Amino acid sequence: MWENFAAGSLALFSDPFTIAIFVFGVMGGMLFGAIPGVSMLTLAAILLPFTASLTPAQGVMLFAVIYCTGTYGGAITAILFNIPGAPENAPTAFDGYPMTRQGKSGKAVGAAVLCSAIGGVASALVMMAATEPLANWAIRNIGPPEIFALVFFGLAVASSVGGRSIWKGWMSVLLGLIIATIGQDPVGGINRYNFGFTDLAAGIAFVPAILGFFAVSEIFVQAEKKATGKFDAPKVGMSFPSFLEIWAHRIAVVRSILVGFFCGILPGIGATLAAFMGYGEAVRWSRDKEAFGKGKLEGVISSETANNAATGAAMIPLLALGLPGGALTAMMVAVFQMHDLEPGPLVFYNSPELIWIVFAAMFYANLSILFIGLVETKTILYLLKIPFQFLAPMILLLATIGSYIGRGLVLDVIVMFGAGIIGFLLRRSGYSIPGIVLGIILGKIGEQNFAQGMQMVHYDLLTYFSRPICLILIVAGALTLLAGIYKAVGSSRSTASQ
Amino acid sequence: MKNYIGLSVLAGLLVLASGTAGAFECKVKAATMAKPDGFPSRALTMIVPYGPAGGSGQVAAAMAEAVTGHTDVAINRDHKPGGSGTVGMTAYMAAPADGYNVLEHIDDASSAHALDSKRPNPAADLIPLVVSQVTFSQVYIRSNETRYTDWPSFVEWVKAQGGKATIANVSKEGSMERVTMKFITDATGMEIQQISFDKGAPRYGALLGGQVDALFEQPGDVRKFLDAGNFKPILTIFNERPGVFANVPTHKEMGMDFEPLLRFRGFYVHKDAPADRVKWLQWAFQRGYCQDSYQAFNESKFMNVIDSYRDTAGAIDLINASVVQYREVYKSMGMDVK
Repeated sequence: MWENFAAGSLALFSDPFTIAIFVFGVMGGMLFGAIPGVSMLTLAAILLPFTASLTPAQGVMLFAVIYCTGTYGGAITAILFNIPGAPENAPTAFDGYPMTRQGKSGKAVGAAVLCSAIGGVASALVMMAATEPLANWAIRNIGPPEIFALVFFGLAVASSVGGRSIWKGWMSVLLGLIIATIGQDPVGGINRYNFGFTDLAAGIAFVPAILGFFAVSEIFVQAEKKATGKFDAPKVGMSFPSFLEIWAHRIAVVRSILVGFFCGILPGIGATLAAFMGYGEAVRWSRDKEAFGKGKLEGVISSETANNAATGAAMIPLLALGLPGGALTAMMVAVFQMHDLEPGPLVFYNSPELIWIVFAAMFYANLSILFIGLVETKTILYLLKIPFQFLAPMILLLATIGSYIGRGLVLDVIVMFGAGIIGFLLRRSGYSIPGIVLGIILGKIGEQNFAQGMQMVHYDLLTYFSRPICLILIVAGALTLLAGIYKAVGSSRSTASQ
Repeated sequence: MKNYIGLSVLAGLLVLASGTAGAFECKVKAATMAKPDGFPSRALTMIVPYGPAGGSGQVAAAMAEAVTGHTDVAINRDHKPGGSGTVGMTAYMAAPADGYNVLEHIDDASSAHALDSKRPNPAADLIPLVVSQVTFSQVYIRSNETRYTDWPSFVEWVKAQGGKATIANVSKEGSMERVTMKFITDATGMEIQQISFDKGAPRYGALLGGQVDALFEQPGDVRKFLDAGNFKPILTIFNERPGVFANVPTHKEMGMDFEPLLRFRGFYVHKDAPADRVKWLQWAFQRGYCQDSYQAFNESKFMNVIDSYRDTAGAIDLINASVVQYREVYKSMGMDVK
């Protein structure tokens, strides 16, 4: 492995043009990942035709690098402005933005930088060591029933985050799950709740919903505070997390690497589920669950470690089997095909040099996050000094563009503002915005896999329990829910007796 | 079964009029065409009702590159995925019919119109510029499968499972896949559970990993798995054996007497677009099909196995035939045809 890695590194850094492409990918991914609305996918779509004029190794390497740094880039706006650059950065905002409000933005951004790099590098190393056996294991053992069970478990664990009470947390998740059912059902293609509007047949898109619930509702909350004289501008916190602070969360980091990697190797799942599951696991194992959603450093660490750990993992089914793990890896298939190559088992035999340049580039791209991220962070934090009356319209404008640009539908802008208003009202009542977003995103993934799983087990739900991984995840999820109910009832009784 | 087979014979004949592909010869001789009143003076917009990474996204990119390559007219692709293509179609019908907006769409537009006549008819509400991909479907198993090795043994094995065998496809209501599977199950008397995966990766992964027993797909979409020796076709759903699949029996050879439904992708312009502009677009896209880059793309997707080309008249025949065929099938399936 190390010989191949050295050869890949040499090939990467011995050609100035290849180095230039690498640097472009690193910077471009970070930039497009950080700008709300546009994303690494936007950059990839723009660059796709140009990759025809690159060598196959350069083209695939460019996309792999964008994938690594783009996944990190969205964390910055999530932490500073409550605007996740992409769905996989949404859990980062759960605690990252409250930290900014508390004047701890430096710690949050620093943790995001460091943990993105750690997650990405660890993932790249495992990818280099065991791509083929891991890919084969994943497709043989993880099918739709297991993915549904994983989503159920994730929902059960993270459903209490951010709500004033556990009941409100669950109600928020249920609202998200209901929103996720709008549009065609994922298996039969039957329209639901679209009220005759064709555009709604495609369902509620993630990006406008996230921008509305997070960014727009936050603008409304702050505007209300401004109007009532209670506005308190976020303090610019420049202190980075210390080594000891990160070391104190080493178990969370390792756990998130494992969770993120596991989610990443599942074809068609990718970094979004990884981030939510990483966050959920942090909540589950914490002794201080109530602190999540209110500015806990571990929330940022878990989410950002997990989503970057999924990047290397997502390359495994792509390279070993030709199965892309998400939208960007699907575009990589097109890059391969432009050069008369097909990702899959044969590429290891036919083009080993390409594989190792890509592996090496992903490793160094994740390291770059660390160095470039820490250098740029000090500058970025000064954005918080922009007065609210200037910042709010800028955020609204960016969010509006970001909502519209994805599909070019006015509906998405309406959804964004609708979500903003609903989010504003629900926050006042103590409901959980993270819970709603969790329900929307995991609901879509979960419903699709549940329906496919039911078809596979011939609509015999009990068959789910005959699959070991399914059984473990469903039982663990159910126990988590029961424990939550027990705790909530106990809490209600003790309040009543006082 | 015989009822809709009989009604669709004419449709099938029209669909298959072009038969299997021979050596490529460009049907559009004129290498240049004067722009009518300077049209187009700016970039065209191509609405694509699916994402950039899928089959439609790729064919749209390849055709845009080919057209731009020989006309120097840029084409911006505007992806509007969702609702099985209905979101993109609705957006296109609302766009100005000035010739600057063109549409990529697949046979789903025809089947949607067949089910609900209020949906746009691609042969009447739109003008097909060119259909550039026509392909057939096959049933695949894993190459290392030991429970069955060919179509007869597969059917026998499926029947022995009492309805518990599975096949992965895109079995949305009224889809080509679901309709064809109905043909197959009716003709063979086997019962098989269809698992609907809307994305390719999980669909192919399900067969690779043994989560399902077979896969219904078009050869171009699984070419890499065929080349790598992972998948093996056991049935071709086409009236004759295409040369590259000469050792795979057709459904007719296996005793299934129905006309195959084809998957096709093409490019359209609104029927109200100015006639001279439509003429130029027809030339540009039909000639685009002839470009080396596009031909190489089609070859990479097994789209040269049968004749993939239909000009406007050929495309209208193909669409009308498909609509007739789908409508009859839907009625026979008891679906609410509007």
